[in-house]
Amino acid sequence: MPFNDHYVIIGNGPAGNHAARTLRKKDKDAKITIISDERVPYYYKPKLTNFIADEIAKEDLMVNFLNSYKAKDIRIRLGQEVERIDSESKTLFLQHMEKINYSKLIIASGSRARVLPAMSRYANHLKFVTSYTDVMAVKEEIRKAKDFFIFGGDLVGFKFLRLLNSMGKTVTILIYPNAFWPYNLTDNMLAQITESLSKFKVDVIVKDDISIIDDKNGLYRVKTQKGIEKNVDMVFSFNGLIPNIDFAKGSGVDIDHGILVNEYLKTNVDSIYACGSCAQIYNPSIKSYTTSIGWPNAVVQGEVAAFNLLGDHKIIESVGRKYFDLEGVKIKTIWWEDIDDEV
Amino acid sequence: MKEFNIIIEICGSAGEGTISAGEILSRFMSGQGFEIMSFDSYPAEIRGFGKCVAHTRISTNRIYSPGKLADVLIALNDKHSISQLSALKENGLLIYDSQPPRPHKEDKSVVGWAKPGMISYGIPLNMLAHKAAGNARGMNMVALGAVAALLHVDQHGFTDSIKVRYGKKKQIVIDSNVNSFLEGYNWTEKNIKKIDPHSFKGMTPSKQKEKLIINGNQLVAQAALVANLSFYAGYPITPATKIMEILSRELPKHGGVLLQTEDEISAIGAVIGAGFGGKRAMTATSGPGFALMTEFTGLSVMAEVPAVIIDSQRAGPSTGMPTKTEQSDFNSAVSGGTGDCPRIVLAPTDTKSCYEATILALYLAEKYQTLVVVLLDFFLSNSIRNINIPEKPSSKYLDANIAPDKNDLKDYQRYKITKNGVSPRAIPGTPGGMFFSTGLEHDVYGRPNYSEAGHLEMTQKRFAKFNTVLSEAPAPEISAIDRDEFDIGIISWGSSAGAAHETVMSAQKEGINASSFSSMMVSPFPEKALIEFADKCKKILIPELNFSGQFASFATQILKRPVERLNFITGRPMASEDILQKMRDM
Ligand SMILES: Cc1cc2nc3c(=O)[nH]c(=O)nc-3n(C[C@H](O)[C@H](O)[C@H](O)COP(=O)(O)OP(=O)(O)OC[C@H]3O[C@@H](n4cnc5c(N)ncnc54)[C@H](O)[C@@H]3O)c2cc1C
Repeated sequence: MPFNDHYVIIGNGPAGNHAARTLRKKDKDAKITIISDERVPYYYKPKLTNFIADEIAKEDLMVNFLNSYKAKDIRIRLGQEVERIDSESKTLFLQHMEKINYSKLIIASGSRARVLPAMSRYANHLKFVTSYTDVMAVKEEIRKAKDFFIFGGDLVGFKFLRLLNSMGKTVTILIYPNAFWPYNLTDNMLAQITESLSKFKVDVIVKDDISIIDDKNGLYRVKTQKGIEKNVDMVFSFNGLIPNIDFAKGSGVDIDHGILVNEYLKTNVDSIYACGSCAQIYNPSIKSYTTSIGWPNAVVQGEVAAFNLLGDHKIIESVGRKYFDLEGVKIKTIWWEDIDDEV
Repeated sequence: MKEFNIIIEICGSAGEGTISAGEILSRFMSGQGFEIMSFDSYPAEIRGFGKCVAHTRISTNRIYSPGKLADVLIALNDKHSISQLSALKENGLLIYDSQPPRPHKEDKSVVGWAKPGMISYGIPLNMLAHKAAGNARGMNMVALGAVAALLHVDQHGFTDSIKVRYGKKKQIVIDSNVNSFLEGYNWTEKNIKKIDPHSFKGMTPSKQKEKLIINGNQLVAQAALVANLSFYAGYPITPATKIMEILSRELPKHGGVLLQTEDEISAIGAVIGAGFGGKRAMTATSGPGFALMTEFTGLSVMAEVPAVIIDSQRAGPSTGMPTKTEQSDFNSAVSGGTGDCPRIVLAPTDTKSCYEATILALYLAEKYQTLVVVLLDFFLSNSIRNINIPEKPSSKYLDANIAPDKNDLKDYQRYKITKNGVSPRAIPGTPGGMFFSTGLEHDVYGRPNYSEAGHLEMTQKRFAKFNTVLSEAPAPEISAIDRDEFDIGIISWGSSAGAAHETVMSAQKEGINASSFSSMMVSPFPEKALIEFADKCKKILIPELNFSGQFASFATQILKRPVERLNFITGRPMASEDILQKMRDM
């Protein structure tokens, strides 16, 4: 039997799927496997907020272009977490104790919610909106709840705030300008945002911090250091995303905040590439690494990683410049975009 | 009350407690007021080998068939469960062991094969079983606990069911099982973020009358006992053995006798002997045993001695596939054997009618002094239902022999020609009631007679019984009788009838104007009713579990028009999904 390559991709987001699609286009014979610890097929994270509000159904949340993995002969393994990589033997160790051998590996494991150190002791009380699973855990509760507290924020946090407002909920938001994600907010920006939020039914708290969150009979009491006290049904945290890289520790792949890759998206290990929001990419012009953010970047990087894995030498470039409208403040972004359906 | 319908399969290796977990699940759900139907499949080999699947359908509504694809698959064994994934719905739930005792080689874990769309939940089944009881034996209970938590089932009611199931065992066994269940429940509740919509919340149907959880074999045995069976002879064979097993225990308590013979020829010989002696007698077997019995069945018809054979069909020919269901003994039951040999054949269509058919068989055999075959199959024998406690038969069914009166005994003609073919039958020992009885063609006294006219007259007599027998048959079941015309009529028999009736309901929801027809009595067949039904249908479909369409060929001769056939020999019961697909294509 002829030996076929086995390309394995960790991650079922835009980076992973575009990598798989590109690999299949270029190599008809290789075995291609996508592994994801999430239990649902490829979906639009940016539409999660619309899904919470029932503006779209589950079917509309799903990305369709790869719904026929079978036709493309791409093996998809869902609900299976990669626990460890052994780059010497080219083996992945899955949480359910299955070993998988790869000939080349693309890490596209994305990112998860960042919990600010000051908030970590309240982690049990906090809710997140970073994945379908998170959302399924809170969707019904959100529908029933009346009063919300948001620690924020980040770009998603503001999207969520608008959503709650449109659902007629009462919201308090505590903005951390110095921990805003992905950039800190200037005083000017903060003032503009606060002004813009005044048209909503929102209490905005700035220049303050949490002193206590406790849970009483299913209600949360949130108290700030300046003595503001709120009783709410749910407490959400939106403080940006951090790369999912725990499983790569000890594998021999260099890591900082994310997985370190050169401008060709290759790690220090020959057969391993990384792309999307788990990657920290070397930028020769500034001689430094930057973490990748946003859907369009993940798409492009997935494709480039696949090309290079197959022997090409494409240098990663950021997708076109955009301005993101954050409550009236134009934030210049080369990475964040409103996502329409993929074709 | 919303309609709720879910199919849960447990798949493991023989000896892993797959079947007992399924049983506990069924009992618990029945106790909660749900309709249940469960069907286990397992290998014929000894314990410790091979794949077992416990399939349970749970519904708030009447269940007609076990359903084809499961909503939930609990994988106790990765190897066997990989092949069972094809029986899980595209959006089904897979529950698997996430912490097996040894690492899997690539592709040897079931979760690796789950299709996108399926939702898999990894539970450390093995680890939790060890934690609860120090060994892996309780994995099945851990898995039930996990399912109960995932589907929001009341844990207290469930643990009560476990206690009942193991009630006769030592306390340590009961505790280990309950603890394993609770470990699975609590771990899942704490660790699994559920993302599927399946839930029993708010689905508690109103409590019904006390139900009996029982399979076809058990009902046959129970029916035989209430219908005054006094003699059983048999030779064990899958899937009929259970009938003999129960009767070996129960029949002596009722004053009867059970005889295990050296083979099936001997068994039917003994049954005919007992019948000749005036006792209600029967045997139960499967295809290969029935083949041997045909040696003797002609004697029952020729000598007009009551005899009842239960034939639980399995996949054939020959030894075939003992633990797989099939409906391929139709020809052999209706016309197997030598000569023009009319016999009554009943084919119960569901678990409950196994009871009715057995009582009817013993009654008809006695009244019409002939052979009655009851055609069950592996599925009917083994699938478990919760049914209302069946009623005792009226006295009419308990003593049906037409004994000779004084006048008859003056010049006793055992084979007297009568209008309905039935002659008064004297039990040996009746003063004046002596007669000849052999397998030879005979005259009215039973004396051998080979004359042209005599053979014709006696053959006509034996067939004449058929005319009245039909009037004793339960009316055919016809769904959607209120319409005059149907695009498709499904004609089915035996265990396929449930799936056919269910299909009619789903077809109508899709706008296909359909109806279905089935008759428990298949020989003689209610031909007039069948023709009347078929005349209302533009097209006819006959689904059955055999390769050659045995019943379809039989029905075509009656209908004298082409029919569509749908034949499966997968070893699995008929599925309404498959019938519906065929109807869409017609
Ligand atoms: C609520 C929300 C709204 C957003 N809105 C926008 C927007 O409007 N515009 C925009 O441009 N961007 C938006 N984003 C960001 C965008 O979704 C991400 O940048 C993008 O999804 C990153 O793609 P990725 O493929 O790198 O990673 P992800 O999409 O995060 O996918 C990572 C995958 O890796 C898997 N994985 C992780 N660890 C493991 C492991 N150990 N084993 C197996 N699998 C693993 C995960 O299950 C997942 O399938 C939003 C994000 C969120 C959460």
